[in-house]
Amino acid sequence: MREILEKALENKKNKTNYIEIRAEKKEVTNIHFQGKKLEEINCSQQIGGNVRTLVKGGWGFVSFNQFDDIEEKVKEAIEIASLIGKEESKLAMALPVVEIINQELDKDFRQISLREKKELMENYNNVIMKFNPQIQSSNVVYTDRFSTIYFANSEGSYIEQEKPFLSTHLTAIAREGDNIQMGSESIGTTKGFGIMERISTKAQRAASRAVNLLKAQPVEGGEYTVILDQILGGVFIHEAFGHLSEADFLYEDKRMRTLMKLGKKFGSPKLNVVDDGSIQDLLGSTKYDDEGVRTKKNYLIKDGILVGRLHSRETAAKMGEEPTGNARALNYCFKPIVRMTNTYIENGDVPFKDLLSGIKKGIYAKYCYGGMTTFEMFTFSAGEGFMIRDGEIAEPVKDVVLSGNLFTTLLNIEGIGNDLKMIESGGGCGKAGQNPLPVSFGSPHLRIKKVVVGGR
Amino acid sequence: MKELLQQINKKVDSAELFRVKSKTIPVNFEVNRLKSIDISESEGKALRVINKGRIGFSSSTGSEGFDSMVEKAVATSEFGSEAAFDFPEKIKSTGKEKANIYDVKVVDKSIEEMIKIGEDIIERIKDFDRKLRGDVTILKNYSEVQYLNSRGGNFSYNKTAIAYSVMVQKIKNQDMLMVYSSLESGGDNLHAEELTSEIIENLKWGDKIVPLRNGKMPVIFIPKAALVLILPIISGLNGKMVLKKISPLTNQKNKKLWSDLITLYSNGIIDFALGSAPFDDEGIEMKRVPLVEKGEIKNFYYDLQTAGMAGVDSTGNGLRSGISSEPVPDISNLVMGEGKVSFTEMIKDIQEGIVIDQVLGLGQGNIISGAFSNNVQLGYKIEQGKIVGRVKDVMIAGNAIEELRNIVSLGNKSKWISGKYKFPHIYLKSLSVSTKV
Repeated sequence: MREILEKALENKKNKTNYIEIRAEKKEVTNIHFQGKKLEEINCSQQIGGNVRTLVKGGWGFVSFNQFDDIEEKVKEAIEIASLIGKEESKLAMALPVVEIINQELDKDFRQISLREKKELMENYNNVIMKFNPQIQSSNVVYTDRFSTIYFANSEGSYIEQEKPFLSTHLTAIAREGDNIQMGSESIGTTKGFGIMERISTKAQRAASRAVNLLKAQPVEGGEYTVILDQILGGVFIHEAFGHLSEADFLYEDKRMRTLMKLGKKFGSPKLNVVDDGSIQDLLGSTKYDDEGVRTKKNYLIKDGILVGRLHSRETAAKMGEEPTGNARALNYCFKPIVRMTNTYIENGDVPFKDLLSGIKKGIYAKYCYGGMTTFEMFTFSAGEGFMIRDGEIAEPVKDVVLSGNLFTTLLNIEGIGNDLKMIESGGGCGKAGQNPLPVSFGSPHLRIKKVVVGGR
Repeated sequence: MKELLQQINKKVDSAELFRVKSKTIPVNFEVNRLKSIDISESEGKALRVINKGRIGFSSSTGSEGFDSMVEKAVATSEFGSEAAFDFPEKIKSTGKEKANIYDVKVVDKSIEEMIKIGEDIIERIKDFDRKLRGDVTILKNYSEVQYLNSRGGNFSYNKTAIAYSVMVQKIKNQDMLMVYSSLESGGDNLHAEELTSEIIENLKWGDKIVPLRNGKMPVIFIPKAALVLILPIISGLNGKMVLKKISPLTNQKNKKLWSDLITLYSNGIIDFALGSAPFDDEGIEMKRVPLVEKGEIKNFYYDLQTAGMAGVDSTGNGLRSGISSEPVPDISNLVMGEGKVSFTEMIKDIQEGIVIDQVLGLGQGNIISGAFSNNVQLGYKIEQGKIVGRVKDVMIAGNAIEELRNIVSLGNKSKWISGKYKFPHIYLKSLSVSTKV
């Protein structure tokens, strides 16, 4: 592959300011049980690539599945970039790297037979289906994917990275008359098949949650003090703050830049937020991002003050800051854009029971169905909820969806727990049609005042 | 493709090969400037086999690797579902109704023309207010679909699509007003003016922020927001959800659930709608399927396998969400029947209520139960029959199946949403609204 990419890059340097070629080979297996039945089992293989080039500040991007006319694709990319380019190209410095990175696995899933994978998932499906007569159906979805990504650019970098990924989603569906409720658990990992062999308790938890939700009353809408568990706390910091620290939405927009000026107070002095793609073996981890920039630990909020943001090489150059290793592409069909990796709130010092104390009427929200943001506003839905009454966890409630405004909600964090957990779910993050990108997130338990909860 | 099928035919009972070749060109403007142009070409094949009565499936991109595709399809068939159908022997259009899905003008549209369309949209928005930020994408797509099975069935078609999408943002202190709108079509018949005038009207309405109270109140969903109410119904009418008894509509066929006003069709033969095609992705002719008529459920929608298991016929709704996905029951285009009342008349009718233009968190939560709960990302308050300003920090919640019993009226001017849904304005008597106190 190296020869093909480097040959295509030859003699192109004088026509563009920058050019890179990415190629990807991957094999994917999917297994899906629904109810008592195996619904889907399939395998796919993909090979594809893209060329991205910068001419006078304008980007051209061409993606493809056929490599035989790659020279033609390079020409096309330069042509379309030239249609746009009207100014000076700016890219932050990145030292050329030549490296081949192989991934060690705890049980290589490529060596595990389809039968063994199917039987393991069948077991989890049985755990759910046999949990209780109220369980009506299930969804057990297993995916494994082994990708190798090849990257070469006009500055002399050549990087090969192996990227394994496995996930299992376990959903239980309970029914009583017209009342239908779900409980879900999921896990994602880059570490190998071993982890997938040890998630039977997750299947049980999903089933028991679905059954318990049948008895829960819909939450009453209004403004509450809420406590978020580590999963929702992690989703919250990802949705409510993380996306706004992605510099690609800021760098050419003066008003946004003023809103997100470094040094601005975002939370209490106890609040520290980090994005770190260099942690070993988490879902968002990678040694080099998709522009060949080394990942690192980046503080976004330190002691409540905005101190950093996430960059690609272009946004870093245009804002006069350092690249952070956050340019990521979902796959070869897409260009790298600024994305989070592993994002978390650092531990505070409040034990869980102290977070509860003093709340007259509040909500303890756990697990997550998903979240979304439009920069200023965000929303996410809990998989399970309980009322808090006089400092104690009380009756269960359902359909708990929380919503808020970024600028006020971070300031409304009243307590930060001491029990940080990183969450590796099988889902992922979506942005600009690139979904789901593997990321991890985490948080200790959080107590936040004045959160709007939708309800009937 | 024929040779490939012959090659595999010796190994399995029957087989089907589905191939898509596609080229998409988006021209992107960011912060009022032309930023990037992409050319995305893709080519993929999917192989589905029935082997000893069981289904196997594999897919691949690129030109190589058919042998390994066959091997994988056969391997997965060992565990696959028992086939409740066989691939159609004859795939023929009855020819009564055939939708236009290909427009040579889209294929011929030059990148320069696309740039010009984007520039004009941005100019129009800047003319209204120079402080606005506009992000615009002008996109065109051309795809070729080919289908062939070992029982003699085959079809192919070419299809085009074009889309303009616009996001306008206004920042004032710490308030961000974001207005999003888009137009999609299979043919080169879009009018950018429709987009810009809608956005400018929204910017005017949204200029002032007004307070709102907690509680139940009348609500108008504009067509763009109607999916809040319709998405849970689409999920509930899915033949697979019904077969598994996890749809709340499972036992409701031929029962009257809602008022006469509610009519829903799945319709794959509408000219230049994005979900239209002569056949679904497994060779069944697309048609107009009444799902709900006058408030009564008439049909659920099916693919071949689910229909076989349920003992009914496929409704031509076997669709693939990508080359590596097997066909499942899905909506081609969904059309909701119009009412008789104009949007202006609806507003005039309301003493205190809200208009929902855009929500955040669509489809999030326990959608299969019919429940929804969304942040109102863009909404307006009505007082004494007039829009008085924008509301913020507001959530709406309810159960779609129940709330649709509450319809006062439907609008007389439907709009296409995402190129495949056609909805009128929906006016509900009362809905639960939560906000900051």
